[in-house]
Amino acid sequence: MSFFHLRLFALLLMVLEWTRPGLSSPLRPICDLRVLDHFIKEAWDAEAAMRACKDACSIATNFTAPLTRVDFDVWEAMNIEEQAQEVQSGLHVLNETISSLQASNQTDVLQSHIDASISNIASIRQVLRSLSIPEYVPPASGGEDKEMQNVSSISELFQVHINFLRGKVRLLLANAPVCHQGVS
Amino acid sequence: MTKMRSDRLKIVFMLCLAFITIGGQHFESKVAQLLRDETEDIKCFVEVKDLTCFWEEEEERNNLHDQYTFTYSYENKNKMACVVSSLSLLASNKTVFYCKLPKTPFFTPLDVQVFRDGRMLYSRSLNAENFLFLDSPRNLTVMSSEKEGQLNVSWLPPLLKYIDDSMIYEVRYAVEGSNMGKVEVIKVSTMLSLLGLQPDTRYKVWVRVKPDGVAYKGYWSAWTEPVLGVTQPSDMDPLIMLLVLFIGLILCLLSMTVIMSHHKFLLKKLWPDIPTPEHKFPGLFTIYKGDFKEWMSQNNGSMWGRSVHVYTEELPSPLEVLSEVSLTSHGTSQREERQAVEEDEEKESERSDSGLTDRWREPPEAYCLVEQLRALQENPESLSQSLLLQSHDTYVTLNQNSQGDDERQVDDVFEETLPLQMLFTTAGTTSLNTSHSDLSSLQQSLGSGRLSSQSSFEYPNHTWPPKGPGYAYVAVTDSGLGRHRMYTNDYKNEIFLHKWPLSGQHTQSRSESCMGPVW
Repeated sequence: MSFFHLRLFALLLMVLEWTRPGLSSPLRPICDLRVLDHFIKEAWDAEAAMRACKDACSIATNFTAPLTRVDFDVWEAMNIEEQAQEVQSGLHVLNETISSLQASNQTDVLQSHIDASISNIASIRQVLRSLSIPEYVPPASGGEDKEMQNVSSISELFQVHINFLRGKVRLLLANAPVCHQGVS
Repeated sequence: MTKMRSDRLKIVFMLCLAFITIGGQHFESKVAQLLRDETEDIKCFVEVKDLTCFWEEEEERNNLHDQYTFTYSYENKNKMACVVSSLSLLASNKTVFYCKLPKTPFFTPLDVQVFRDGRMLYSRSLNAENFLFLDSPRNLTVMSSEKEGQLNVSWLPPLLKYIDDSMIYEVRYAVEGSNMGKVEVIKVSTMLSLLGLQPDTRYKVWVRVKPDGVAYKGYWSAWTEPVLGVTQPSDMDPLIMLLVLFIGLILCLLSMTVIMSHHKFLLKKLWPDIPTPEHKFPGLFTIYKGDFKEWMSQNNGSMWGRSVHVYTEELPSPLEVLSEVSLTSHGTSQREERQAVEEDEEKESERSDSGLTDRWREPPEAYCLVEQLRALQENPESLSQSLLLQSHDTYVTLNQNSQGDDERQVDDVFEETLPLQMLFTTAGTTSLNTSHSDLSSLQQSLGSGRLSSQSSFEYPNHTWPPKGPGYAYVAVTDSGLGRHRMYTNDYKNEIFLHKWPLSGQHTQSRSESCMGPVW
C-alpha cells in the first residue's frame, strides 16, 4: 500500500469519526436557560397572535392538552424521573395536538406560528436529551395516563403551550442534575 | 436550666417578632405601592411563593371583615375559600382587606372572586407567575473606582430561589442634592460600573428589581435606600506634571537664548528704523531746523559740488519731466515738463535742483507744451526770436519737424501710445529726419538709460542744431491735472539735447488737446 492510500484511509477515518453516521453521539449538555428562554419568547409571540384571532381561530373539536399547574412544594418533593415523565408526556401531547392543527386551514401567519411551535418542541426534546433527561415512555397498557385537560380553542391551546414551557419544562431544566454537578 | 431555656425562648420570640415586623413592613409597603399604582379593583401580587389579593375598604363600613368572602378556583375545579384579613395603612390612613392564598398554584389561570353579603363584588382571572412583587435588592454598595469619573456599584438579589437567573435590575444615580437622575438597566448581573461621572462629586445610587418577563412577570420592586459614593478627584500624576514643567522650562531657556543671540536682527525686523535723509543734509535738521533756504544759503558752493558729485556717481537716469513750459515773447524762462521714466530719481533731482528754483521763474500757469510747439511750428519765424536762451531754462527737447509735413507728423506724434510726446521738426537737416524707426530707437534709448545727466548750468556745452529753426526736442505736457514740477536735470540723449527758450507765445489752451501722459 502506497503512502497515498494510507493518507486517504486516515482521512476517511477522520471524516467518519466526525460524522458518526448511524450513531448518536452524546450531546453536550445545554444548561444555559437562555436557550429555553428563546423558545419561550417565540411561544409568547404565538400566544399573542392566537389571542388576537379569537373568532377566526375557533374550532369545533376539543383538544387534549397537558396540565400546566405547578405547586412548588409538590414539585420540589418530586424526584427527577417523575418530573421528567411529566414534562415528556406533556410535550408529547402538545406536539400531537399542535401538529393536528397543521392540517386545518389557517392563515399564513398562524401557520408559521404553528410550524415554529412544533420545531421548538422538537428542539426542547433535544435539550432534554442533552441533559440526560429520560425520554418519554408511553404508559403501559392499562397504566394510568397523565392527567390532561380539554381545551376548546386554539388560543387556549397556545396559552397552555406557553404556560407549560414556562413552568414545568423550565423548572426541570433549571434543576437538571447534570448542570449542577460539582455545585453543592 | 429553666432560666436559660426561657431566655432562649424569649430571644427566638423576639427574632420572630422582628422578622414578622420587617416582613410586615415589606408587605405594607407593597400594598401601599400597589394601592397607588394598580388600577384593578382587586389587586394581587406574589410575595415569595404566595399570592396575596387585596381590595380597599368601601366607604361607610365599620371594618367588619367578616362580611367579605374570598373564593378562588383553578383548572375548573371547585372553588376554595380563603380567609380574609384586614390591614390599616398608617401612611395613607386607609384600610384594606386581603387574602393570602395557601399553596398558590402557578402557571395556570386562577379565578378569584370577592363576595360581600352574598353579592359578588370583584372578580378576576390571572396567572400567579405574572404578578411577582419582589423585595428590593440587598446589600447595595457603592465604591469609588481608581479611574476618573467612575463608580462601582454592586448588590445582592432578593432571596428567591427559582427566579434568581431571570431578574432585571434598574440602577438610578444622581448627584447629591440634585433631582436629575440617570437610569441604567442591567440584566442578571448584580454589579455595574457607572461611567462618565463628574470627578470629585458625591452621588446617590438606588437599585430596584423586576422579573425579566420571559418566564416570570411582575412589578418593579421598591427602590433601595440610597447609598452615597464619591468619585475620584481629577488629579494629574505628579511625575507627569514635573516632567511637563521641566520640558517647558528647557524650551523657554532655548527660545530665550535664540532671541538674545539674534536680538539685533529681530529688532530690525520688528521695529525697523525710519529712514531719514539727515545723513545727506548735514546740519539741516539739527541746526537749521529744517529750513532749507537757510541751509542752502549757508552751504551753497560745497553742497552743489557735492550734489553734482552725487549725481555723476549715479547711473544716468532717464528723462525727467519738467513742470511747465510757457512761451513768452520776452523770453521769460519757463520750464518744460519732462517725462520721467524712473520715479525714484524724482525726489533726489528735485532736492538737488530745488536750489535752482529761485533762478527759475514759475510760470503763472501751466501750458500745454504741444500747443505751444504747434504754434511754434506754425510760426517758424518766432523761433528765431526764441533762440534766446535763458541760462536757467533747462529742458530736453527732441523736435523733428519737416517743413512739408508739419501737421501730419505732429498728428502722428499725438498718439497716445507714445510714452513721450515727440514733436519732431526737421529744419532740413537730414540727420534729423527721423523716421518711425528712429522714433522707436529714440524711445528705446530713452528707456534704456543711455542718457547721461547733466547739470543745467552746462548749457554752453550743449549742442545746437546747425540751423536755427531746426531742432529736435522731446516735449511732454501735462494733461492739465496738475503741475508736475520736478526736475532740473538735463539729459543728454543720443540725438539732441537742447535748451530751448520758447517763444513768448503763450498758449492758453490747456490740457484736453494735449495728449500723452506725463509719465
